[in-house]
Formats: sequence, structure tokens, C-alpha cells
Amino acid sequence: MNISNSTTAPNAGEYAGDEVSAIVLDPGYSTTRAGFAGEDVPKSVCPSFYGHIDSDPPHYLFGENAIHDPLGNLQIKNPWGSDGIVEDWDTATKVWEYAITSRLTGNRPGDPTKNGLNDGNANGNGEAMDVDMEGLENLENMEKPLEDSPLLMTEPGWNSVKAREKYIEIAMEEWGTPAFYVQKTGVLAAFASGKASGIVIDVGASHTSVTPVLDGMVLKKGVQKSPLAGNFVSNQIRMIFKQAQPEIPLTPHYLVKTKTPVDAGAPAQATYKTYDIPPLDSFRYNEEERVLTEFKESVVEVWPGPGRFTNGTNEEIAKSLPGRPFEMPDGWNQLFGSERYRVSEGLFDAGAALQDADNPRPKDEHTIPRLVQAAVQQVDADQRPLLLQNIVVTGGSTLLYKFNDRLNYEINTLYPSTRNKLIAPGPLVERKYAAWIGGSILASLGSFHQLWISRKEYEEHGTNIVEKRCR
Amino acid sequence: MPPFKDEQIIIIAPGSETTVAQLGLPESFTPARLRVRSRMFPAEKEGEWEPYKVRRRQENPAAKAGDAQNGVSEGAAKTIVDGEEDEIQYEEDRVSEEGAVWPLQEGKIVNWSCFFALITHVYNTMNPPFHTPILLIAQPAWTPREHEKLTQFFFEKFKTPAFSVMDAALATSWAYGVHTSTVIDVGKDKVDITAISEFIPHTQGRIVALPGCGGEALTQGLLSKLKSKGLNRAMCEQLKKNAICEMLPVGVPIPGTSDSGDLDAITNPAAAASTGALGSGPAAASAIGNIPRGPGADTEVGDDLNAEDNEGVLDVASIVAGGRMEEYIAKIDKQKQEKATAPKKGAGALAAQAKAVKLPNSKREKATFMYEDHALLDTLKGMNLGTKGMADAQAALDEGPQKKGPEVTDGADGEPKSAVEALEAGSATSRTGPIRREIEVGPERFQAGSGGVLEKIADAVHRTISSVSEVNKRSELWDSLIICGNGSRVKGFKDALLSTIQARYIISPSSATIFTSEIPSNISTPTGTGANTPQPQLGPHGGSSQVNPLLLAATTAQNPHLMHPGNPLMGLSTHNSHSSHGQTPTSIKLVKPPEYFPEWKDVGFDESAFLGAQVAAKVIFVVDQGQSKGYMTRPDYNDQGPTGIHDYSL
Repeated sequence: MNISNSTTAPNAGEYAGDEVSAIVLDPGYSTTRAGFAGEDVPKSVCPSFYGHIDSDPPHYLFGENAIHDPLGNLQIKNPWGSDGIVEDWDTATKVWEYAITSRLTGNRPGDPTKNGLNDGNANGNGEAMDVDMEGLENLENMEKPLEDSPLLMTEPGWNSVKAREKYIEIAMEEWGTPAFYVQKTGVLAAFASGKASGIVIDVGASHTSVTPVLDGMVLKKGVQKSPLAGNFVSNQIRMIFKQAQPEIPLTPHYLVKTKTPVDAGAPAQATYKTYDIPPLDSFRYNEEERVLTEFKESVVEVWPGPGRFTNGTNEEIAKSLPGRPFEMPDGWNQLFGSERYRVSEGLFDAGAALQDADNPRPKDEHTIPRLVQAAVQQVDADQRPLLLQNIVVTGGSTLLYKFNDRLNYEINTLYPSTRNKLIAPGPLVERKYAAWIGGSILASLGSFHQLWISRKEYEEHGTNIVEKRCR
Repeated sequence: MPPFKDEQIIIIAPGSETTVAQLGLPESFTPARLRVRSRMFPAEKEGEWEPYKVRRRQENPAAKAGDAQNGVSEGAAKTIVDGEEDEIQYEEDRVSEEGAVWPLQEGKIVNWSCFFALITHVYNTMNPPFHTPILLIAQPAWTPREHEKLTQFFFEKFKTPAFSVMDAALATSWAYGVHTSTVIDVGKDKVDITAISEFIPHTQGRIVALPGCGGEALTQGLLSKLKSKGLNRAMCEQLKKNAICEMLPVGVPIPGTSDSGDLDAITNPAAAASTGALGSGPAAASAIGNIPRGPGADTEVGDDLNAEDNEGVLDVASIVAGGRMEEYIAKIDKQKQEKATAPKKGAGALAAQAKAVKLPNSKREKATFMYEDHALLDTLKGMNLGTKGMADAQAALDEGPQKKGPEVTDGADGEPKSAVEALEAGSATSRTGPIRREIEVGPERFQAGSGGVLEKIADAVHRTISSVSEVNKRSELWDSLIICGNGSRVKGFKDALLSTIQARYIISPSSATIFTSEIPSNISTPTGTGANTPQPQLGPHGGSSQVNPLLLAATTAQNPHLMHPGNPLMGLSTHNSHSSHGQTPTSIKLVKPPEYFPEWKDVGFDESAFLGAQVAAKVIFVVDQGQSKGYMTRPDYNDQGPTGIHDYSL
């Protein structure tokens, strides 16, 4: 056997060896992350969006491949509500289940051959492969996707009591998990950075949240959320396109057959695809979002400071900086100058956000600096320096170029007298999946063992137990 | 444990269509020696499986006597005499696929007991000695839990001393010897696309089992075009495998259509005005080389074939089953005779034919191929004709070897396809093989991808690479595409796919970017007046003589920026780091296949995952000997159980 030293991995028994098969599920608005506890990245990252074809019976499509396939009358939906809490529980269950079964367990409900074999295998002898086909029908009804895996789920800091109870109900009733626990994303993101206390700034797709965490506990009244996040930036970009003269056409990839290079600013010359029965508008919207994501990755920049973008001569300076080009799927291309700062400025400065009839001016208290301020306000004054030393930055939208520079500037302006430190993991997966990684760490700790809510307890106390046990 | 040797290693690579395996690593790596169709037949007892179709046959005494000398099916077919009843005989039919169960669908294991039986069959066929480590090539669609199940199966069923699982995409990248690549594995019903950077597959964004894009979709594409002409699925399948079926790159017109038929020819009038070219883009470029072809001499050849064709493409199996076989055979005979006399008609026809032959396939409107009619054979077998009748019927119906069809297509049968086909072609030469007929097809043979297969794959490639969060790695991924898998064997598939991807996704050097991204920004650019600006290299979209106002803007923008060198946040270094955030791809290339595997060169690198597995097996079992946990040993398994496999596999 290996002699253990600092570089060898710990033996399986050192951590709760019998719990390695726990599954960690971190559902978000844009993607749903799932994986086995103890691993360093989630094996399964599936879109939370799903396809829906209105027919009788309605046809649902899940997964990356399905939602980008331009089928006739396909619409793309999302089970999350605008308040950052799951709205459509039935499909949310299916989306999450898909994330778990498609890439982790492969245990599709209603697939009798597989289910039958599970039982044959359990005998463990060489002859186990000869499955008895009797009783498959009975098994089919009983087999549930998570029968042998404890499940750790994450929830947003503002999750309602009802929603939490629904989580455990789904896990226990629909999936048949033997043990369950739910933890807030903020705590887990802090864990992923190795911190028990800190302020977690999580800028996701639909919401930005700021969560003060003290000794592994969320200060519930300090949790702040706002809708100024990735989707907000996308909308700002759409407005830039719309307000440009002439208007910039946003044609998603699926409508373009081939494109031809054109001069900057010249109208596109592409051959387009037509569909006999086109997908519905929401499909197009979702595909446009892909283009906007590319735009965010390659063009958008956060004004790094000093000062706000609209302050003084900053805008003039930005104008003088070299622009960045962007080419649309149909070949249209242009150089983007100061606009590329403008679209992200609303995250920090509500007044600078672009507005139109559909997109009213964001509220001042929703900007990231104000959220941080409000969160810190709720913490005892003597704890504040500790928290400000551990500002954990996570979420996909924090990957906007220069985001951290600006955040650093804003926080130092707000709290000039404390030592403020941003903790933003370099590896991008850690930034994007921090909450999941924290969950993976937590669920693989031996000491976590006692925290699980077992099936027995659930059956005894009902869904209400989640309020008592998961704080 | 004694160290493993080359000749002990087993590699098994299951696929939806074909499972390949090999015992022992040769000195120079060769394509897999054992190839098995990935299907089993349900045995009498439920849950048990047979590798070949077992036909239950009522023997009449006469045939029984003859049976001993020449088996009704292959010489190898053995008859199993049922214990209770002497009259009921079972024969193995090694060609027929009637009633087969395919345990892998779209790469997923859908029938585990069948799959395990298949693996057992493969294992037993190789007849390995003890002390054989096994490397299993895993389909991307298999989940970690399924890996555990497989681990358990291999250790407990075969008592293997060591076992490892390797991802098919990763194996492919090993075969090509590249650390960063995008592997597009075109299978039977699905396509898997995996971005691999620094030998680590990006599991988060990989496209697993994209349905409706594999070889089967191409067959269906042909079928949808040819159904009206009376071709069935089996015919289309064989047409697809024939060299006359080809996929043309974007913009190459289909012969017979005077204009580029698949393009809707929306050439922009504006472009024509400004550039003076007739159209723009690759479509126009290729159109220039497109010489219009009317119905030429080759159609003459086609004409007299046509008369036969009308009959030939009919579903002969149903005629035979309907009891009108004699009638049909008589007709065929007559046609054969006519055909034999046909060349005498005149040397002119021959010359025309020869001329037609010289044209490359992609320029000819029509071509013929040999169709091996398995369905007909099955029908005949099912009719209990007896040995003699069977042979007669076959001889009468077979148009294959005795007839000299157009020479082009004859050779195509022996084209270097996969070894399976070679193997099957071998069996076909025996007299009992499938009955062959000649079928002619028109330009439909170029439209296998008409169902949008290539577009779907192209889009999935774009999604895969876009999901890699490290933006700076993307351009390398775009520059190293690997297209593999037997679904991509269709002639021209790779080029057509590459050109589809390029036509849709390549980011051309924008006229606005040349000063911000092509030249490092700390090199001083020409003065902003535009006077001494060098003529912009506008590349493909022909230069406009005027100075682009945007160019001017881009260049003048530099100046005030350079006047603020003191601002640390706007320093040039930070700007340069952002320049990697540019859009991708600016170029798209395929990785060159490795050149030092002569045996593989001949058959093509479509199954390069197997080559990669050989390389990997050599490394993990022989060179490394388990030091870096490349495989799981039996003691490891006993300690940790099936879940331990995740710590070991590649």
C-alpha cells in the first residue's frame, strides 16, 4: 500500500467512505449542477431550461441537445420564478432528475431491463448476469432514481419555507433518497474557498445575492438579493443593439446557413435557413442568449475604476480606448467602443443603466455596492472587519472582464478603513461551481454524517423536519 | 503480481453497431482483429442470448441426408439436435439479423443482460489465457454508475486481474497524440463531441449522444430521397457504404442541377455591385468552376439499365414470398441475355461508357452499385426450399459476379471499408452468400445529409467549444478537430462537415480589427490621418478603395490612449490579456492523423479510439505497471468495491 504523505490522496475510509456515493445537486437559473460528493467538479452540468411542445399530451424535452434543436413549435421555458424561487415544481423535478440520471446514475425510471439487472447484480456472484425477467413489472413501479444515494441540495438564501419543504418532499417521495440535507449556496461557496466566515457575493444569471456567513451559519436577515445579474446585462446588450443607428440585427446561429465576410458595419450577407414549422419565440430568445453570452465573453468589460463610468471624464477616456470587434452569426460585424462598458455599468450604478419602456431604471438599492452595504449593516460592528477580509466572489457573471477590479474599487470606497480582501478563485470552474464544490466538500466530510435527515425521520416528522434540521 | 505483457492485454471497444476487440498488442499497432456486430439473439429461454440467429427448422428426411455433406447455411453452421424431438433441428444462421437485439442504442446500454452476453461472447471468442488485464473503451454516454456496474461485471465474471475504463474521446486524442483537441465521434445513431484540453476532457460541456446525427441518419436521409424510387432501407444502407455515395462540401453543386441546387442562391445583389463578383462566398467561388452538364453519354448507358431498373429495385423478397418467383426468374434471365448482347450493339456505346467512367463520381449524374439482398435470402431460407432449390434460386436471382456490370462500381465493393465489410464481402463470395443485384441511383446519392445532419453537428461543435470557460483555450480547440467514428466513413463526410462548420462559424478578420488585434497594441500604428495607412488587407471580401471610416476611428482612438500612459489600470499589459478574449474561431482545422501506423493508414483512422486504447494499454499496463493508478487490480477491487473504479480509470 501507499505510504501516505501530504501528496497522496486520503484513503477512502478517512472520509466517510460509505457516503461517497452521496449526490450533490446545485440547481440554478441557468444551469443545474449535479455530481458525486467528494469530486472536485460536478460531472453533470445541464441547462435548467427545458423544451415544451404544446400538444396532447404535452411533450417535454430536457437537456442540452434537445433545447437547441429547432423543432417546430418548440418553446423554451424555465421552472424558476422571477423571485429566485422555483415556480413550476413539476418540471423542476424533471429537470433536476434529468441532470442526475443522464450523466450520473443512468437509472432511467421506466426502463425495466436496467432496473431488473440492478437486482440481479446485487447478488454479487458470477451468475448474477442471468437476470430473471419475472417481477420486472413490479420493480418498474418501485424503482426510483436515487434509491441508494443520499442527496445534498443547495438553495438560495431567500428560499421560502414552503419551497424547502417541497425540496425534501421531491427527494424523499419522488426520488426515494435514503437521506437528505439542504444547505444555502452562500455557506457552501464560502466552504469552497475554505472560509467559515465571510461575505459571499454571488452574481448568477437571474439574481445577484450577497450573503453574510458567520461560522458556517448564514445571517438570514443580512441576505440581500437583486435582479441585477447576468440576464440584466444581456438585456442591456439587447438595448444597445436596439438603440444603435441603424439597429443591430441579432440573428441567432440556427437561422444562418452560411455567412460571408462583410466590412464592419455593412449589412450581413448570409444565406438563411427557413423552417416549415419554426420554433416559437422563446426558442429564438434562448438562442439569442447564446450570442449574447459570446458577446459578454469577448466584448463586454466592466469599467475598472477609479470612479464610476459616468463620472467626470471617464466616459471620454473609455471612448478613446481601442474598441473590441464582434461578429454576429450572420457575419455582421462592428467595433464596440465605450458601449461595452456601459452595458455592465448598471450592476454598480443604477443611474448609468440603459432604460426603455420594458426595462425601467433599476433600483439604487439593487446595485452590488448597495447590496454589500446593506448586508454588512446587518452584522455586528465588531464582526464586520472579519467579514470584509473574506469577500468570496462567485457566480458565472463575475467572469465579466475586470469585474473584480471594479468590485474591489467599490468596496474600498465604501469601507476605506478596513482591510478588505476579495477571494475570487482563479480557476474558472471553481468560480462558476463554487456552491456545488462546497457541497461536495461538506457531504464528503465524516462529521457531516450526523446531519443527514434520514428517511425514517422524514416519515416520522413530515416535511416540516427540514426547517428544524437545516438552518 | 507478475507484470503484464503485451500479448496478454485485452482491449474491448463496444459500439452501437460494431464491437471491436483484440487480445494482445502487436509490435506495430493494427486495427482490431476481432469485429463483432453488436447484437445478440434471444435464446429459447428468456434472458439468455445467442450470438447467431438460431433457426428452428422442420427437416424432411431427404434434406437431412444431404445436410451432413453440405450444410444448408455456412459450412461452419452446426446443427444442434434438440434432446426431446429428433425432427426439430436448429441451425445457426450467421448472416441473418432477423430478430436481433442491439443492446447499445445511441451509445447507451439499454439492455444490460444482452450487453453482458455480448461482452461474454466477445471475450470467449478471443479465448484468453488467465492473467489478462482488460481495458474497456467507454462510450461517453455511460454514467459513472454504469462504469461501476461494468467494473463489477468484469471482475466477477471474468476474474480479470486488472481492469480499466477509458473514455472513447480521450482514447481518440491519444491515438492522434495531441493534448488538446475537439473529438467529433460520429456513431450509428448519435454523435459525441468532446473538447479535450491538456488530456483532460471537459465533461461539463461535452455533447453526449446527440441523437439523429449518426450513420443511421444518413441512411434515412438517402431513404427519404430514394423512397419514391422504390429503394428500401437496406438498399440505402448499402448505398451509403458504397463509394458512389458522397457528401459534397458546402457550395459544391450536385451534378445534374445546373445551378448549385442545395444553396438557395441568395447571393447578395449589394455584394455583386460592390465587388464586381457574381456572388459572394464559397458558393460563388465554386460556381465558377461549375461547368454546366447536360444529359450526356452516360445517360445512354443508364437508359437501357433503366428498363431493368424498374424491376430491379422492386422488393424482390415480397415477389418471391408471394410465390411468383418462377415468373420473376424468367424475366431476369431474359434481361440477362439482352444485357449480354447489348455491348455488341456498337463500339460507340462502349466508348461513351468508358468516358463516363473517367469522370469523378461527384461529377456524374448517375451511378450504380451492387446491392446484397439479405432480405431476399432470408425469405428464401424461410421457404424451406431444401438445399437444391435454394442454390438454384440463388443462382437465378444473383446478378453479382457472373455479370460484368459497369466496372466502376464493381471495384467499389472491395473498397477499403471497415474490416467488417471486408469480412462480410469475403463471406459473400461464397455461393451461399447474399444475392446481389445492381441498382442505379441518380443525384440523390449526394443528399445523404439532407436531413440537416451536418448543420446539427456543426452547431453542437460550436456549443461544445463555447462551453469551455477558458476562453483562451478555444481557438486551439477549433484548430484541432478530429472527426472519427464509423458514421463518418461516408465519402466526403469529413470535408463536408468541415466546410459546413467553416461556413457558419468562422470569424473573418474584421476590417475594424486589424489595428487592435492583429498588431500588438504597443507597437505604434500609422498615424491616424489615414494618409500613410497601409492598404488594409481585407482578404476575402475584396478591398474597397476608400479608407474605411472605422479604420480611421480605430487608429485615431489609439492616440489619446497613448497619451495616458500613467494610468496603471489602462496599461497595455492588461489590454493584451484581454485580447485573448477575442471571438473564436478565426480558423478551423482538422488534426492530421498520425503517420507512423502503417496498418491503420490503409483502413483509415475512423476507429482511432481503438488505436488510442492500444497506446494507452501499453502505457498503463506495461510501461507504468499501475504506479500512477492507471488500472484497478483485483486486490483493489476486493478492498474498495466497484465504486473504486473512479480512482483508477483514465
